[in-house]
Amino acid sequence: MKKLYIFCLAVSGLAACKPKLEPEKPEAGQLQLSRYLAVGSSFTAGFSDGTLTKTGQNFSFPNMLAEQFGLVGGGEFKQPLLPGDNGYPNPKLVLAARRGPCDTNTSITAVRYTGALDSSNSSNSVAIGGPYNNTGIPGIRAVDYIKSGYASEPSGNRFARRFFANLGARPIDEVTRVNSTFFSLWIGSEDVLGYATGGGKESAIQLSGVTEFAAAYDSVVTNLVKKGAKGVAMNIPDITSMPFFTTIPGKFVNLTRRQADDLNATNTMTFVRFNEGANYPVIQDGADLRLLVEGEMVLLSLPMDSVKCAGWGTKKPIPGNYVLTLAEIAAAQKATDDFNVIINTVNKAKNIATVDMFGYFKTIQSGVAFNGISYNANFINGSFFSLDGIHPSARGYALVANAIIREINLFYGAKISSVDANKFPGVKFP
Amino acid sequence: MKKHVLIATTLALSSAMSYGAGYQLNLQGLRQIAMGGSGTAVPWDMSTIFYNPGGMTAMDHWQIYAGAAFVTPHTKYVESTGTYEAETQSQTFVPFSIYAGGPTSWRSPVSIGVGIYTPFGNGVKWDDNWRGRYVSQEANLHTVFIQPTVSYKFSEVVSAGIGLIYATGRMELRRAVPIADENNVDSRVELAGNGHGFGFNAGVHINASEKVQVGFNFRSKVNMDVDRGYASFTVPQSLQTAFPYTAFSSSLPMPMVTSLGVGYAVNECLTLQGDINIVGWSAFDNLDINYENNTPQLQDQSSVRNYRNTVSVRVGGHYTVSDRVAVMAGAAYDPTPVRDGYVTPELPDANRGILSAGLTYKPFERWTVMGALEFASSVNRQSSFDEGGFSGRYKTNAFVPAIGASFDF
Repeated sequence: MKKLYIFCLAVSGLAACKPKLEPEKPEAGQLQLSRYLAVGSSFTAGFSDGTLTKTGQNFSFPNMLAEQFGLVGGGEFKQPLLPGDNGYPNPKLVLAARRGPCDTNTSITAVRYTGALDSSNSSNSVAIGGPYNNTGIPGIRAVDYIKSGYASEPSGNRFARRFFANLGARPIDEVTRVNSTFFSLWIGSEDVLGYATGGGKESAIQLSGVTEFAAAYDSVVTNLVKKGAKGVAMNIPDITSMPFFTTIPGKFVNLTRRQADDLNATNTMTFVRFNEGANYPVIQDGADLRLLVEGEMVLLSLPMDSVKCAGWGTKKPIPGNYVLTLAEIAAAQKATDDFNVIINTVNKAKNIATVDMFGYFKTIQSGVAFNGISYNANFINGSFFSLDGIHPSARGYALVANAIIREINLFYGAKISSVDANKFPGVKFP
Repeated sequence: MKKHVLIATTLALSSAMSYGAGYQLNLQGLRQIAMGGSGTAVPWDMSTIFYNPGGMTAMDHWQIYAGAAFVTPHTKYVESTGTYEAETQSQTFVPFSIYAGGPTSWRSPVSIGVGIYTPFGNGVKWDDNWRGRYVSQEANLHTVFIQPTVSYKFSEVVSAGIGLIYATGRMELRRAVPIADENNVDSRVELAGNGHGFGFNAGVHINASEKVQVGFNFRSKVNMDVDRGYASFTVPQSLQTAFPYTAFSSSLPMPMVTSLGVGYAVNECLTLQGDINIVGWSAFDNLDINYENNTPQLQDQSSVRNYRNTVSVRVGGHYTVSDRVAVMAGAAYDPTPVRDGYVTPELPDANRGILSAGLTYKPFERWTVMGALEFASSVNRQSSFDEGGFSGRYKTNAFVPAIGASFDF
């Protein structure tokens, strides 16, 4: 035995006796991943912090998936990258220590980036570099995929316009220019989100009709699988699992005794009596003025300066586009449920894998831990969501990618390795 | 933020070792190291103060004894499926032992002595940017036990001894916190504190026959209480008041060990011995950190460890070559106290096997010099730390050369 030690020490040094351990080799199973196509909306594009940036595109879940696929035969993954990092078309949200005009204390809040903006080239067409593997188009609804001229001027989707070779084409024909062997499909969220983020019935975008949605979704999937590609498709998360809708509590108007008395003395809205402490705000609901009721949602887009300086919620009603009433919430949730039934049914019929993102976002809400970080649906501090409260952070997208990989592995008998979320940046504090 | 920090610091003091099972070191005597760590039955020298105080009366003269081991553990981590791998940085730890003791007078049935030794400790250091950095970057635990001991020979057959233990130690932990500044640099936390505790070590030694010796030893649990450690956070400026420099208190159990050993003299030259150790790891059920200054973001933490008791088996042989030279060899099986779901990169523990050998040489009548070499290797363990959502496979090897000397009066 001693001879063995001496041999080990003398001949090869301690290094030779270091532990030998190799990870299990990833395998594609029955999948052919040489041409991966990502189809979808803002989640697929890599939208984060309220905008699209080059970095966000590089941290999109399809790009992360493509990197993992690269270990098992995946090919080149082209994205219609933006030239800059400050946001297109809006500046990105960043955390800053700010004091609002009516605040006495500074607090850390999400504000639009105020530095120099990216070059105007952001809106230039990059179609010449296509076709692209990541065809995520922020804002696109499932029902838009079968509309001719979706990207055309003047009202067309500016993200689509950036990389569509034929602006007049139906999006489904344009995005399938990559003749894929495998695809990911995550559409339908915008069919609900446009309505919900715009304040429900006050929004410029209304909920898609169920029949219209069913026809569009079926057409999209049919187009994607017609040449034999396999795929994975995600369903629609519930709006109530996103901090954009859940961060501001119903009773967010906090008053001192004195403030409450003053308001009550001068108030012309006789149905309101303010109390010391937490109060429901006054809202505009259609033609009516009324108090918010429990279960209704105040959106994160509510300008807090107006609340503090202009008396929104106390002296003036909060406009309906910052509030989801019980009826609006119910409508959004019913649409989500209806669309998800369609998504699941079509996916099953076409034999593609379905990732239950509705369920996964709920899981995030109750909290998960991955590689030493705990994630939940809290705004700013929950790690999963970016500063817009709807789209994941880079690390959040990594978790999304892992949820998709788990389902791919299960459905197709593959062994694709998971994404290390810790490689990606978290929320940055000033 | 609360959750953030919770995860950031919950995992903090999960202890630090990668050599013995759990954070135990079995390196308190040279001959015993060379014989797989067995040593309860046969009092070879004054190191019996550790292995069995009851055996101290077998020595008819005073002896001072000192030894040191050089532990260089290597742990490798790989993700389960993929390409990622990481190794701990190479570090050498030097657990030591010093014993002095002997009969109170010529042929006295009473022997007294003192042992100073390091029964628990070691450390792990990962690269700062490795995948598990939010669970652990570096962890160290050092302990020193000081044990004044008395032993009494009831008859030629039975002796018993007991020693009080005063334990002192230090723990240090460092890890990244997933809160980034504007340049995307992680925050971090460093916890360091000195602890101390009390316990005892008692043993019975029986000369069952000409050839057979039996030993029984019980070393009590020692709670290392850290009353005032210090936690230092490096965080973005806007969060500095939320993470004050603060004292913390904590407690880490050094588990009780019950040992039963048998020694058998095959002939005048060859002695075989074997031990069974029952280690009371279940005492390590929770790890709590209580900060003196709490803020909404910085809360006290409790993390479940849920260790289980273990039974290790150790065997060895001692062969006297001549008046001056003896050689030894041994082996042991040391199972892990860490259950599945609780394996952290601070303590990437797994069942391990040990092979060992050594030799002693007497250059002069009263001097003995000793050398031993041990190789420990863990099984390749697929494991997870569920609380932190961190999983993968680990394997640890350690080479332990050890040297020592004794002087007989």
